Formats: sequence, structure tokens, C-alpha cells
Amino acid sequence: MIVGGMASAASTPSTASTAAATAILFLLVAPLIIGLVALRLPIGTCQALTTATGALSFAAAITLVPAAAERDVTVGHYVRADAISVVFLLATGFLYLTVAAYSIGYLRQDARTPEFTRYARRFYAGLNLFAWAMLAAPLMSSLALLWIAIEVTTVISALLVAIEDTDGAVEAAWKYVLIASAGLGIALLATVFTYAAGARVLGPSYDLAITPLLRAGAHVPHTATRLTFVLAVLGYGTKAGLFPVHTWLPDAHSEAPTPVSALLSGSLLAVSFYAILRYYQVGTAVLGPRFPQAVLLVFGVSSLLLAALYLLDQGDLKRLLAYSSVEHIGIMTIGVSFGAPVALAGVLLHVLAHAAAKGNAFMGAGVLVRKYGSKQVSAIRGGLDLLPWSGPLLLMAVLALAAMPPFGIFRSEFEIVAGGFASSRNAAAAVLVILVTVAFLGLSAAANRMLLTRAPATLPRGEPSTWMVIPVVAGIVALVVLGVDPPGHLVALLSRGAAELGGLA
Amino acid sequence: MHAAQVGAVADGAPSVFTGGANLVAVIVLLLEFGMFRQALLRDQVRLYAAQSSAVCALTVIVAAARHLPELYLLAALSAALKVIAVPVVLRRVLRGTQNEIAGSGALSLASTVLLAIAVAAFGFFAVGRLGIQGPALPKTALGVAIAVVLVAFVLMIVRRDVVSQSVGFFSLENGVSLAALVVAAQMPLILAVAFLFDLLVAVVVFGVLIRFHHGRAESLSTAELTSLRG
Amino acid sequence: MSAALPIPAIQVLQVLTVACASPGVSGSIAKVEARLQGRRGPRIRQPYFDLAKLCRKEALAPEGASWFFLAAPLVAVTCYLTVPLLIPVLTSYPLPLGYMGDILGGGFILSLASFVVAVAALETGSPYAQMGSSRAKTFGAITEPVVLFVVFTVALVTGTDLPYALAATVRSSASQIIRPAHLLAAAALFMVILSETGRIPVETHTGTNEFGMIEEARLFEHSGPYFALLKLGSAMKQLILFIILGNVFIAPWGLAATTRPADVALAIVALLAKAAGIGIVVAVIDNSFAKLRLFKITEFAAGAFLLAVLGVFTLYLGGG
Repeated sequence: MIVGGMASAASTPSTASTAAATAILFLLVAPLIIGLVALRLPIGTCQALTTATGALSFAAAITLVPAAAERDVTVGHYVRADAISVVFLLATGFLYLTVAAYSIGYLRQDARTPEFTRYARRFYAGLNLFAWAMLAAPLMSSLALLWIAIEVTTVISALLVAIEDTDGAVEAAWKYVLIASAGLGIALLATVFTYAAGARVLGPSYDLAITPLLRAGAHVPHTATRLTFVLAVLGYGTKAGLFPVHTWLPDAHSEAPTPVSALLSGSLLAVSFYAILRYYQVGTAVLGPRFPQAVLLVFGVSSLLLAALYLLDQGDLKRLLAYSSVEHIGIMTIGVSFGAPVALAGVLLHVLAHAAAKGNAFMGAGVLVRKYGSKQVSAIRGGLDLLPWSGPLLLMAVLALAAMPPFGIFRSEFEIVAGGFASSRNAAAAVLVILVTVAFLGLSAAANRMLLTRAPATLPRGEPSTWMVIPVVAGIVALVVLGVDPPGHLVALLSRGAAELGGLA
Repeated sequence: MHAAQVGAVADGAPSVFTGGANLVAVIVLLLEFGMFRQALLRDQVRLYAAQSSAVCALTVIVAAARHLPELYLLAALSAALKVIAVPVVLRRVLRGTQNEIAGSGALSLASTVLLAIAVAAFGFFAVGRLGIQGPALPKTALGVAIAVVLVAFVLMIVRRDVVSQSVGFFSLENGVSLAALVVAAQMPLILAVAFLFDLLVAVVVFGVLIRFHHGRAESLSTAELTSLRG
Repeated sequence: MSAALPIPAIQVLQVLTVACASPGVSGSIAKVEARLQGRRGPRIRQPYFDLAKLCRKEALAPEGASWFFLAAPLVAVTCYLTVPLLIPVLTSYPLPLGYMGDILGGGFILSLASFVVAVAALETGSPYAQMGSSRAKTFGAITEPVVLFVVFTVALVTGTDLPYALAATVRSSASQIIRPAHLLAAAALFMVILSETGRIPVETHTGTNEFGMIEEARLFEHSGPYFALLKLGSAMKQLILFIILGNVFIAPWGLAATTRPADVALAIVALLAKAAGIGIVVAVIDNSFAKLRLFKITEFAAGAFLLAVLGVFTLYLGGG
């Protein structure tokens, strides 16, 4: 009846411009190919190809911006990019590029043994496949395919966490894979229930595409959708790092190689958060905003609270940054729960700014860890003196993470808080501000101890590698651009994304 | 039509199909409890294989009773994976190891069983209250499936060795498959692919990581995995 | 055919059947068990000879034991003679006294019997007898909830807790047999029966190792006709439990639907066959498993509890 009409309307692809379609195809194919051939190539070629693919992927994501700011781009039946997807593509593409460049410096330090060659090949294969899966996830039009893509990210990232084969790495990888797989089991359950709910309205051949489900709206059974939403937040929240299922996160982030940590934090968490956003869209369309927002508010506030407290006293630099990721995922979740368009646009901007800032912070931390040979905050002293570039850059990244102007996170958090007051969630917005301040205290105290103290006389002054500085500079530039004057197309993209999220588009 | 059939269940006896399907579902849950009781890892793997075959049997029953031929294929594929491939991989892991007895869990057995019963009861009644009904199977089976998932969680939490934990995860997947049979028996190919993919990937990753772990720790126990905290 | 038997006669016949057949059932289990172990084993009639021999012996009571010590066997046997009035032993239609008590009532009477035996054991001051009764009560406290849950299941299935009603429900259609609640309850009851009749894996039935004993140890200080009564009581308890399992849960067929003597006679034969069948299963289990350590018996009981609880769960959701 109505339903059949909806399904067929959804399946007719809008006339995608060739450029956008090419960009999407490139994102879906190129990193996969590079990842697969990396095991056979010399290291230098690997590095060049990876960096080139990263740059082209980021460029492809940028070419999608104007198109997606106006309409959905679909390629075939299963691939679809709307404004929300493109935001996440931009974040992943940017990190893919910077991390690829950073890895050149990161791996150069190691000795050129056959073992190292094997390690480096595996590393590049994993890095490209990881990026591929994270680029593919936002492009999937069906919730089942989205689930598969996120499952692939788990697999590859777990192996990447374990790649160094130290005690800590194996422990972290085991915890990660166990907890994340269990979480994805829950997410699979959510997918199954979504199908069950959708099939009631759209017929048994419903293939879990998002658009027809959103159009069917309130006709979809409510109880099942409610269950689905909670399961999805819990399941995907496991990978996004929401309390109380965040426990794998600090371990994996601290034990993985630094480039992988940057990708995990800036991109993987975001992609899982993307899945939650999709279910939020479905939940809002079916149930109205009240229930999904309440659920997200609880998860968001508790994550933020936990992260803020852990940040206050954290001795391990990389774990510190990992808890900061939990904090920011909490902020984004709260932002979505506010529901006002300005808050939603702020959340999407936050995804981008957080990717740049957290990538920077991890990459800077990687330099410090290399320089001082320790991850302990207490062992790192006088970073500003010893590292003429990385020291100030890390300081800037920390300030950016703490939402200082003129960086992008300031703008996004400002929008989120403004959205909270706009939708008269005054208490929640106030709590958000307080907890962010607490987190800022913890983060800045640690940065203070590491960077602004007197340097030990034993270590020489100087950067380990130029390649480990350039991507960080790029990140700071991006943060400043996002904070001071975001490009017009991007603003259009974000507001359209916010409209999609709010169910207005 | 189906709804009327399922609705008739509440009073009086269910139909033979419903009863049989529920029975198989309950057997799946009982085998899950059996994994709690079982301390020998080898037998635990065997129990998992039995549980998987019960799930596959139920798939075949649904396929036959509801005339969904594509489910036969799914049953065959998942049988090949879950009844043969996964146990083979796990057994291969066990072959090289000395300690085959699961480290006694965090709690005593009787307490874990009581805990698991409580958790299963929660799953049962939570789902029962929601009143979600599927086209193919009675809703009791859904309650059982959710109970399997929750009990698998308990198993993963209280056990302290990599094999039990991965068996816990795999049986969690069995519970999800059971739930899918209830609410989404006519599931599209894409969802079926997701299930098989889940398994395939899990086998590979768990296999590799268990290898890694065993290579480093010379044991299957996870009791030493405590260095990362805070 | 011949005239119908009067209803009271059938009622009496139920009790007599249980009283007379029960030692024979014990004897056949012992025989099967011996055969499984490759021995010739005692005659099936051996328990009758044992009882006859004991009746000829002198009855003694330990010094200091009160009248209760000698009264207990009489009370116990009376209890065991009462229960067959309540359950479907021979007929599928309820007999007049069948409404005297429901399953719970029957359960109470069985517990009363085991209670007086336990108290009598405490009277003696003998350490083994006391240990046996304390253990029996401890594990009884764990199996009791299982029985309760089984009763709940029955009540939920039939709407009453009369054993006749459940048997009739089970007979009514195949779907009643295959429903999980029913099978789970039956399995739980079977495990309780193993524990109540002192079988492996809870207790070695025939052993002489006092430390592992539970049920048997309670009877240590009794002698002569009183001991014979207790022996008969144990045998009757076993047969009663088998009858509940067979005629109410697993196979409520072959019961007399009329009052004709031929039908009733056939019902007696069927009953003995069913009891023997269950006995064979018990004997096989006796020979295939090892006795559990004393502290592991709680796990066995927990397993039975799990089955019974799951039975109730599935019923509550409908369709169980």
C-alpha cells in the first residue's frame, strides 16, 4: 500500500553528479586495494602510496561537501551519502592523511631488520584496511551493512592494537576484542529488532535501509523501536566509549602504536557514534524526540562525569588522552540529547574538531613518549624546552581539547551549550559546563607538569623527525580554521546535517 | 493469522510446533547453563557445538514449518561454521596446552548459577513484558534467546580463561541467532550475511588473539591480565 | 463381562498394590544392577525374604530412647500407605478419597514420614544415624523448593494441583507432552527422585561406607519387625515416587478407565511394567556415574532447581 510506494520511492537513486559518485567509489575501493597489496610492497612504496591515498581520500571527502550540503548522494542501492555521513568522512579522511604522514616518521626510528619489514608491512596493511572500513561505514545505506562495516573496524583495529606483541598490547587487544565483540553482539540484536519492527510496515523483504524507515515514521511499532534504540546505544556505545561500557578504551588507546591510537580516538569512536546517530534518527522519527534524548542524556552525563574524574588523577599520558576521548564522546552525546538544531550542528562540528585535536594530541604525545622513553606523566619534564615544535604544538592541542578559543572545539562546545539553553535544558547544560571545566583542570595540570617544567639535563634538544611535526601543524591549522571561520560549504553541510538529525530534512 | 496462533498459546496447551520449538529453545538455554557447570574446556567446546546444532535444528524446523527455503541454506552454513569450524579451531588451541581445566571463576559455582538464573529471569520477563511477537516462533523462544544472551554475558564475566571467554562470546552469538529466528525469520540476505560474517570474523580474531596470548603467557588463563588499570 | 468392582475395593487395591509390589521393584532394580555389573545378583524376591526374616527377629531399642523411637516406623508406614489413596495408581478416574489431598498434601505426608524417621534417628544417640538424618534434612531443604516449583508448574498447566487432573491433561494431546514446561518439570522431578531414593549420583544405595550414607544411615539402630517396617517404607516411598513420575508425568497411559476387574488387572500389570522401566533407567544411571562428593550434591540440586525454575518461566510467558 503506502508502504510499497515508499520503498520504491526510496530505491530510485537521485541523479548523483559524476564527481560525487567517483569520489564515493574512490573512498570505497582505493584504501582497500592499498591495504591488500601492502603486504607485498617495499616499505617506502607503502608509505608513499598510503599517504597519497590518504590525501586523495580527504580530497574526495571534500568534493562531496557541496553536493551533500544540498541533497543525498546515492550510488547504486546500498551506498548513500548524506550530510551526516560526509561529516564523518571528512573526519576520517583528515586523520587518514595526517596519520599516514606521521607514520613515516614514527616507523623510521625503528631498526631496518627483516622483522621490522614484516611488522611495517602488517602495520600499513592494517592502517589502510582500518581506514577503509571507517570510510565505508558512513557510506552504507543499510543498517545491516553499517553493522558489518563497524564489525570490520573492530577486527582490524584489534589486530592493530595487538601488533606490537607486548604483554600490555596483547592484554589490551584481548579486552578490546572481547568487550567490543560482545557490544557488537548487542548491536546485532538491535539490528535484528530493527528489521522486525521495519518489516511490520515495509514488508518482509525490507533490507534495513534507513530512508524508508525514517519515512514510515510513527507507523513502525513503538515498543520494538524503543528496545532497539536502547540496545543500539548500549551496543555501539561500547565501541564509542560510553560509560559503563568504555572499559576497553583506555587500555587499547594506551597500548596501540601511536598512529593507531590517533585513528582509534579521533575516527573509530566517531564512526561508532555515527551509528548511534543513525539510530537516534530512527528513534526520533518513530517515537518522537523525548525518549531517545532522555536515554542519550543519561549515557552522556555519566560518561562525561566518569571521564572528568579519571582525568583529574591519571599518571599515563596516553590513558589521559583516552579518557579525554570518553569525555568528548560524552559531550557529543549530551549535545545530541539537547536536540536543538544549533546543538546538533555543534555536535557535528565537534566530531570534526575533536578528530583534529585528538589526532594532534596523540601524535604530539607520541613524540614525547619517543623522546623520553616513557608514557608516564611523571617521567616527562620540560617538553617545551626540549621539543621546539612538538612541545608548543602539544600545548595547543591540549588547549584545543579544553575548548579554548580560537580552536574549533570552542565553537562547537559553545554551540552545544547554547543549544542546551535554547531547548531549556538549563540544568544539563550547566552540568556539562562544570564537568568540562573539571576535565580541563585535569588535562591542563598534566600538560603543565610535562611541558612547562624544567627539562632534565641528560636529554638533547631537538625533534625526532620532521614527519612527526608536519601533520600536527596541519591539524592546528584545521582547528583554527574551524574555530575562526569555517568555510561556507562546510557550514551549509553542518546545518543540513543538523536538520537531518533533527528530522527536519 | 500468526498472531492469533501465538495468542492462543496463553491459555491451554500450545500447538505441537510451538511446544517443540520452545523445547529446542529451552535446550539451547540449558546447554548454556551446562557451560557454567563444565570445568573441562574440551567439554565446554563440545557443549558449544551441541548448542549450535540445537540452534541449527531450530532453524531447520522453522524453515520446514513456515516454508522459508532460504533458511535451509543459512542452517547449513551456520552448522558448517558453528558445529564444525569453531570447535575445531578452539580444540586446536587447546591441543598445545597443558591446563585444560577452567580457572575457577570469580564466584562459586552455586552462586553463579543462582546469579545466572536471576539474570535469565530478568531477560525472560523483560522481554515478556514488551510483548514483541515474531511471525515464525512463539514469544517464549524470544525470552529464552535473550536469557541465553544474558547468561553468556555472565559466563564471559565470571570465567578467567581465554577459551571460556570466547566460548561465552560464541554462545552469545547463538542467542542472538535464536532471537533473530523468532523476530526475523524471513530476514533478508543482507542480515543473514551479517550473521555469518560475525562468526567468521570472530573465529579469525579470537583464534589469532588466543595464539598471541598463549604465545606470551604460556597459559590460557586471563588471571594475569591485570597490568592495565585506572 | 463380569460385574464392576466396587469403588472402595479399587481404592483398597491401590494401597495393596503399592504395599505388595514395592519390595519386588526394589528387588528387580538390584537384579538389573547386578546384571549390569556382570554378577548374577540376588533373586527378585529377595527383599520379601529379608522382610520375613526381620519380622521373626527380636525388636530392640537403644537405651534411653523414648516411645517415639518405636512409634516412628509405624507412623512412617502409615504415611506411605496413605499417599497411594491420593494419586492415580490404577485408575484414570479419580477415586473418592483422591480428593482428600492434592500434590502438596501428598508431599506433606511424605515429608512427615521422613521427619519422624529422622527424629527417631536422633533419639538413638548413634553418631551415624544422627549424621544421616541431619544430612537428609539438609539436602531435603534444597530439594524441597524444586518440588514446590514442579508443583507450581503442574498448577499452572492444569489450573489445579490434583495429580489426576495433570495426568488427564497430559493424556489429552501430544502437544501437552512436548511442551517444555512439562518436560522440564518431569526432568526436575526425576532428579529429585534420584536424590530422595538415595541413588547415584547422590548416594551409594548398596554400599557399606557409612560416611557417604544419607538415607540409609538413619535406620541403623532399628531392628526386628520395626526395621522391616522401615525397609518396607523405603521401598514404598520409592514406588510411590515412581508412580507419580510415571502415571502423572511421563506415561499416564494404561490406567483403568472403567471398574471392570480385567481392566484393573491390566492396570496393575502396566503399573509394574512402568515401575520396572523407570527402575531400569535408575539402575543404568547408578552404574554409569560416580557418586558426587558430598559438597557437590548442592550442585546436583541446583541443576534440578534450574530445570524446575525454567519450567515455571516458560509457562509464565505463555506457550511453555
